[in-house]
Amino acid sequence: MSARLEPEHFARVLAARTDRDLDPVKSLCLACTDVLGVSGAGLMLGSRGRSLGCVGVSDHVTETVEQVEFTVGEGPCVAAFRTKMPVFDPDLADDGAVQWSEFRRGALAAGVRAAFGFPLFVDKVCIGVLNLYHDRSGALTDDQVGDALVVAQFAGRILLNWQADAPPGMVAWQLEKVPNHRMQVHQATGRVSVQAGISLADALVLLRAYAFAENRPITAVAADVANERLRFD
Amino acid sequence: MAREQELLAAFIEFADTIVDEYDVVEFLHRLAERCVKLLHASEAGIMLANRDGSLHYVASSSERMRLIELFELQHEEGPCLDAYRTGVAVHSVLKDDAQTRWPRFAPHAQEVGFESVSALPMRLRSEVIGALNLFSTSPAPLDAEDQLAAQALADIATIGILQERALDSARVVTSQLEVALESRIVIEQAKGIVAERNHVSIDSAFTLLRGYARNNNLLLSQTAQEIIGGTLSTDALTAQPGKDPD
Repeated sequence: MSARLEPEHFARVLAARTDRDLDPVKSLCLACTDVLGVSGAGLMLGSRGRSLGCVGVSDHVTETVEQVEFTVGEGPCVAAFRTKMPVFDPDLADDGAVQWSEFRRGALAAGVRAAFGFPLFVDKVCIGVLNLYHDRSGALTDDQVGDALVVAQFAGRILLNWQADAPPGMVAWQLEKVPNHRMQVHQATGRVSVQAGISLADALVLLRAYAFAENRPITAVAADVANERLRFD
Repeated sequence: MAREQELLAAFIEFADTIVDEYDVVEFLHRLAERCVKLLHASEAGIMLANRDGSLHYVASSSERMRLIELFELQHEEGPCLDAYRTGVAVHSVLKDDAQTRWPRFAPHAQEVGFESVSALPMRLRSEVIGALNLFSTSPAPLDAEDQLAAQALADIATIGILQERALDSARVVTSQLEVALESRIVIEQAKGIVAERNHVSIDSAFTLLRGYARNNNLLLSQTAQEIIGGTLSTDALTAQPGKDPD
């Protein structure tokens, strides 16, 4: 593990990225990209083996890739959460690769060439994943891997501390922002369940399948459904 | 079992605690038993501090009533309290200290048959969370080797407890986040259902849900859950006094 990455250094980088107008998770993701030298970072949380969704990203490209992963339900970051081990795909364009082909297609289209998932551990509990993306292919160096493991720990603690300070029963305000457009997905699920006369779970599957077939992000499809521009009856 | 093997076994058991779920009280009972074997003590026990700084009994090498009472007495006075407050190990031959140091505790301990007592602070860096207590029927003090081993065992106990508290904390907070997100999701789904059934916009659906919850003194999340579960009909939402749906 790199001896370079001290908490104080990460704190300084994070402070430099903290801005009153910027959402805190985005600042945290940007600090991760600064320290690790990758083009994008995203943070996803999970509880008891279930993904709770992406809570923040460093930039628009990463946002697109996170949506792809959400829509297709596969990718190195999904795998990292499931296995609780780091999962690397250093060359998404490698034709010989067989895994997460739909994720790769979508990520490449967004301009990402490599993806790395690092589980977030707080005191031995896996609370999510730090997703790193790069616009050039290539493996992370040993130093980058070592630093990423440390950064994942910092990020995990920071996220959990935010939630720990939230009023009981409420999502911490710092974690509120990005899930908003996913809230539209759930609104759409409600509409579709009534329109098609199916369960909420089936409605979500239907929306995902439609988004996949139409090659559109699920959040865009959900917005159309929520605003009655698209119906499923 | 040789001394080194006993210590090693204690470390191995402790290593298990940082990997999987484990029962901290069970762990401390076993540690207390190991103390007795390793340190030639007659009995051992662990006391932990409450938020107000007083100590309470957690586990011991046996559950003889008279032994437990000796721990309970230490709520107010005794070697554990001293070790906890000062952060320094305490060793005492009871007949020497009976009158002055612990006028209530010492005579009781002697009555039970103990002649000497030690307490090791359970500390990690600057935090002291309790004390490891050792009782002996011999008046001989702990030798240097035993003192080191005793402190090592106290340290193991400390880390085991802090580990368990931290585990709890991380799990508890992520569960809280999960619950909070889940109830948000339920509310959003209900908005969609109500919007579709009542032919209104999502925002109006929210107004209906919130109005119903308020009028019936329910949580919004409860109302939403009932809509989803089908126990509350969407018609009931519009049949409300003075509610303008749009």
